[in-house]
Amino acid sequence: MTELFRDTFRYRELIWALALKELKIRYKRSILGFLWALLNPMLLMLVLTAVFSTLMPTQQVHYPVFLLSMLLPWTFFSQSLSYAAESIVGNGDLIKKVRVAKLVFPVAAVVSNMINLLLSMIPLALIVVAMRHPFHLTWLYLPVPILALTILTLGATFFFAAVNVYYRDVSHILQIVLQVWFYVTPIIYSLDYIPQKYRIYFKLNPIIYVMNGFRLGVYYGMLPTWESVVASFVCAFAALYFGFWVFRRRQHEFVFYV
Amino acid sequence: MNNDSVAICVENVTQKFRVIHERPDTLRELFSKFFRKQVTYHEFEAVSGVSFTVRKGEIVGLIGRNGSGKSTLLKIVAGVYRPTTGQVLVNGTLAPLIELGAGMHHELTGRENILLNGLLMGYSKEEMLSREQKIIEFADIGEFIDSPVKQYSTGMYMRLAFSVATEVNPDILVVDEILAVGDFSFQEKCFDRLRSFREAGKTILFVTHSMGQIEEYCDRAILLEKGRLTVEGSAAEAIKAYLGDAAVEEPILVETPSPRA
Repeated sequence: MTELFRDTFRYRELIWALALKELKIRYKRSILGFLWALLNPMLLMLVLTAVFSTLMPTQQVHYPVFLLSMLLPWTFFSQSLSYAAESIVGNGDLIKKVRVAKLVFPVAAVVSNMINLLLSMIPLALIVVAMRHPFHLTWLYLPVPILALTILTLGATFFFAAVNVYYRDVSHILQIVLQVWFYVTPIIYSLDYIPQKYRIYFKLNPIIYVMNGFRLGVYYGMLPTWESVVASFVCAFAALYFGFWVFRRRQHEFVFYV
Repeated sequence: MNNDSVAICVENVTQKFRVIHERPDTLRELFSKFFRKQVTYHEFEAVSGVSFTVRKGEIVGLIGRNGSGKSTLLKIVAGVYRPTTGQVLVNGTLAPLIELGAGMHHELTGRENILLNGLLMGYSKEEMLSREQKIIEFADIGEFIDSPVKQYSTGMYMRLAFSVATEVNPDILVVDEILAVGDFSFQEKCFDRLRSFREAGKTILFVTHSMGQIEEYCDRAILLEKGRLTVEGSAAEAIKAYLGDAAVEEPILVETPSPRA
């Protein structure tokens, strides 16, 4: 673990440069450029709002705010994973020719998506204002769930980046897993809609503890209980510990398989 | 031997590769192979039990036929591969020229690539920015420096890559055959720079197929055969052993003399 923090600090300039490179390339040759980072979640929100306001009888007030408060962190999580799964394989040419700390690639993938997440908080704030949803002081609490989510995401990205080196199917399977995971996580709906007897199963999903803070802070103007904060950091660090353990054990072999 | 005078010390290094016969690349293949128990591989030693020392300020050539393990050895020295057994000690900063432009990204501009490349080699942003002007001057690509690298000609691309790798002023340069490419004036420029490296007392380890280059630049040469070090000595000795061997086993492959030899 100390290795992770030490190397992340040591290679911070490289990680930052790689993250910016990724963003630059993602929005290259598009007229709107970085605006897409903001537009993408907005458009997805419009679609989902349109669908669910017609399908779901019991509407949440200010559904867009309700939805986006979870959709944005989820987008960060799923995009980071998709990018990171390819991060070692995609940089194979580099790994084969230059001596470089392997962890910079998944970390850079997470950093670039973090920039996206932070940028997308701007349109969220605009929508909150536009819908006259109260601007809760609990927004100030958001750095806490952002930290927990980042730690969890890093753990998952290390794991998937490593296993994808050995079996390229992983990145395909990951897409399906993320799809299913999206629907079993209360993002487009509230856990209140789930009958009490099934709720226990939904609570086995570690990411809800981590993401819960976003919805509470932005939509409900509440703070999570300290138990759920502890639970979120336990899940996050467990994921990081396991993910980095797998990555670290294998990192010197990557060069032979990419 | 005085430790301070050693630049590279390779001790009994062996590099094994697992050559899997039809390695299962997907889970489906893994499953089907697993049930039929057909995951077969053999171990292949690209480099076996090689030891040598390069002193500071020396230029050492690495020669041998294709597949003799030269590039693998160079990658081990550069830290790209971690050897299966054995140890490599490198004393000082090392710039690898395994392949020109390995760290270049085609969508980024030349200027952006200078920074990214430098960071990848372990230099700080500050250092790279302070050297940027000199790198651009040596690469001599004019206003193209702010265009994406994908629009560069091959020559421009290589000049930039070579310029970045050598302008950072490493103590040790590890070069893999790259100098065989590029036009004559570029090659001249590269060799001028290698000469100035030598004059500055820097260490160079390089792989080449040009015996002319070995004779002209190397203090010593190492001959590899099938992953083993067979000759370590003066450039002339190693060349003689190499050519003698090649003449016996490969009578058709006559070594082409380098243009300057």
